[in-house]
Amino acid sequence: MEMHGYNMPEDLYYEENHFWVKEEGDLLVMGMDDFAQTMAGEIVYVQLPDDGKKLKLGKKFAKIESGKWLGKVFAPVNGELATVNEELETNPGLINDDCYGKGWMYKIKPDDKGEMENLIHGEEAIEKWLVADIEKYAEE
Amino acid sequence: MEAKYDFEKKFREQVLKCSRCGFCQAVCPVYGATLRPALNARGKMLLLKEVMDGTIELNDELIETLFQCTTCASCFENCPSGVEVPEIIKQVRKDMVNIGTCHPAFKGMNEVLEKHTNIYAEDEPEDFERERNKKAECVFFIGCVGAYREDESTLATLDLLDRLKVDYTLIDEVCCSGVLEDVGYEINTRLAETNIERILATGAKTVITGCPYCSRTFNEKAPYAPLKEKGVTVMHISQFLKGFDFGVRTDKRVTYHDPCDLGRHCGIYDAPRNTIRKIASDFVEMPDNRENALCCGAGGGVRGAYAKNSIAMARRRLEQAEAVGADVVLTECNSCVHNLSNAKLRKQKFKIYNTSEFINELMEENE
Repeated sequence: MEMHGYNMPEDLYYEENHFWVKEEGDLLVMGMDDFAQTMAGEIVYVQLPDDGKKLKLGKKFAKIESGKWLGKVFAPVNGELATVNEELETNPGLINDDCYGKGWMYKIKPDDKGEMENLIHGEEAIEKWLVADIEKYAEE
Repeated sequence: MEAKYDFEKKFREQVLKCSRCGFCQAVCPVYGATLRPALNARGKMLLLKEVMDGTIELNDELIETLFQCTTCASCFENCPSGVEVPEIIKQVRKDMVNIGTCHPAFKGMNEVLEKHTNIYAEDEPEDFERERNKKAECVFFIGCVGAYREDESTLATLDLLDRLKVDYTLIDEVCCSGVLEDVGYEINTRLAETNIERILATGAKTVITGCPYCSRTFNEKAPYAPLKEKGVTVMHISQFLKGFDFGVRTDKRVTYHDPCDLGRHCGIYDAPRNTIRKIASDFVEMPDNRENALCCGAGGGVRGAYAKNSIAMARRRLEQAEAVGADVVLTECNSCVHNLSNAKLRKQKFKIYNTSEFINELMEENE
């Protein structure tokens, strides 16, 4: 849904650094949200670690870069990397073109799906968090 | 007719010396990635001749051509007429900035360095878990890419210096600002004075740089002359390590990528290879090596301004590493490590390191 100029689907779960997460069978799919891809500009590189990489909640597991900006990707849950979007290896701009679709980044096999509940979710919570970050980045 | 621009005053004969043979096209990394003749040295020299003749204007339409050069000097190395292309390009970029036409990425970089301490405008530097600004025999100067993009490699290099019991200190360094000279601007004297003051305050007589470009800047650029005047020697880590024995070896197949700033620009080819031979039984060269090494595509500001093409250039280099069956690609430059790592495909199973980082890993495994 449109929220303060950004497309922020209210049925997704969000990690605080603006990566979205959703369930897909036994796995979780993860990508960058519209606010982040807009702020970043043209994405030129996405680190795609090997399948099976262990993920620890809140710990960095990959990097993403646009021109002069470097972002860190933090694990939204404990688990392991099931697979990655290999299309991004040669076409990272898919994140800019379609961040909730063809620009998905990682699929994660979570240890406990229940950990998703700690992510930002629900329209009210998403809007509150988004407004705070819009203000924060406007100041910078 | 009086010359309108400084590049013409300084390099008119050089530009006219280009015989349009096209030897540069075969070795130009930008042409290799784009297949656009206007982007190789011959194309650039033709355009500059037209500018000198007054048939075209030096304006925004030439930004993409003249700012898309990694200044790798491969063209100069292979030019039968000896045209000093990188120097001409750097001068014409200054002329363009003087008339108010510049790639926005470089204009932005100059502005960033007027307000911040590094090219990425990052305000929270990694602390690398080490005390800074103490008295020591050596200063280790990290450089922007090593501090903010390849911090893991830098940490490993510092660990190696610790293992080798080197008496060094980090300083609250700021960007050497040498890159500004490549993209149409001048070294920022405020930043240079800050570095000089902080280096001299440590009492160190040797500065070891993690970045070959920082080393070139300190040794070649006038604002840094006070270092030499005070008896401080500046060298790249590859030079510093050449006298050490590490007591470790690897059976992995290792190849070496010559950074342009260390190789073609400084003529340092043997020291890094001698170090690698000490630690690797199976060292192989890539098809293009030493003076003819293919540029990784990161230099001359191209990584910042033309990232896609920059990564495409790095992919061409990695095809050579793949062709020789390397397990490990070593180099001596954080920008090269960064760009090559970004370009590496998942199917390519080799690993890319700075040599110091790889040696540290071997020593760690051996403990």
